[in-house]
Amino acid sequence: MDDKELKALWQTQALKLEKNILLTRKYAEEISKMKVQSALASMKSPKIFTIIVGILWVGFVDFLIIGAWQSGSAFFLVSATIQVVLSKLALGIYLYQLVLISQINLGTPVLEAQEKIASLKASTLWVARLLFLQLPIWTTFYLNAQMLKQPLSLFINLLITALFTWAALWLFFNIKYENRDKKWFRMIFEGKEWTPMLQSMEFLDEIRYFQKDEEYV
Amino acid sequence: MPIETPSQVFQELVEQHRGILFKVAKAYCPNEEEQQDLVQEMMIQIWQSLQRYDPRYKISTWLYRIALNVAISHFRKNKVHQRKQGTLQGQTPLSEDSDQPEKEQQLRLLEQFIEELKELDKALMVLYLEDRSYAEIAEIIGISVSNVATKIGRIKDKLKQRFSQQKIS
Repeated sequence: MDDKELKALWQTQALKLEKNILLTRKYAEEISKMKVQSALASMKSPKIFTIIVGILWVGFVDFLIIGAWQSGSAFFLVSATIQVVLSKLALGIYLYQLVLISQINLGTPVLEAQEKIASLKASTLWVARLLFLQLPIWTTFYLNAQMLKQPLSLFINLLITALFTWAALWLFFNIKYENRDKKWFRMIFEGKEWTPMLQSMEFLDEIRYFQKDEEYV
Repeated sequence: MPIETPSQVFQELVEQHRGILFKVAKAYCPNEEEQQDLVQEMMIQIWQSLQRYDPRYKISTWLYRIALNVAISHFRKNKVHQRKQGTLQGQTPLSEDSDQPEKEQQLRLLEQFIEELKELDKALMVLYLEDRSYAEIAEIIGISVSNVATKIGRIKDKLKQRFSQQKIS
């Protein structure tokens, strides 16, 4: 079958699609009269919700820090400050994603638009990295000088905090795109809430190969 | 001469180019009901992007970009769901009174071949079958003309193999 025959074959289905003219008119009329939301715009709502909850949370922690500034435990103040700074950074990522969503123009070339959409989804990985970085503060915020006077208690707390710090730093530096096929990575990011992010990372890979004129598998 | 409202421009545009939307939807979506949802989503996106249209590009180039971008995103979102549903339900049914059963079979084979392609190759194949020039395909997809030629050549080779295998069997 040559090129002409192939294209003619494809065009035969155009005739079958003619029946859709009434449907097109109906949709077009409805869309231009009603306020409709595209799938892309609907991605904004969960982000806005998370930002609002996040602002309330950091506001609450800030309030606690200010309240405890004069008389509170130093362990609590330092832990809460680290927590609130990391939460504010995560909020910044969500804000950045909102900006990205509003910048995506589906009228631009396919690879450009798809790369932006995939990068947007893959950037959720940064939120996970920041969340893991908070690990050690959950082992320190409740400590006080009295608890650390006993050698055994001091040793156990130091050991736990050191372990959590090591795990947090290791995860922060190793949770990255290049490690997506590792078993531990797949274990952490198992579940349907992470699936779109992992698929986006794979798609970014495909896009890169596609641009390079390599046959992707 | 009365000035057309954006709503009229939009309605004329989609009516005139509805073939683009339906054919792209069909290539990315085996289920007929889902195809209609997909066309609707494409139309919402066209309506919302109308003010951003860049007149440096042909209207068809702009429409193909939107249709393909919406279809690819939809396809990626529903990939798992579609795999579960199987692949045959959306294919064009053989007409009972068809006087060209061989053509119908070839069309089915072509549809099946397109269905099996990855999302970006699918876009290339649809544009090639729609008789778009390599230069326009390059503008729509966002790669070089030579890259378009190489990739389409590879896909066509695979398609030819498929058709010749079919003839043998």
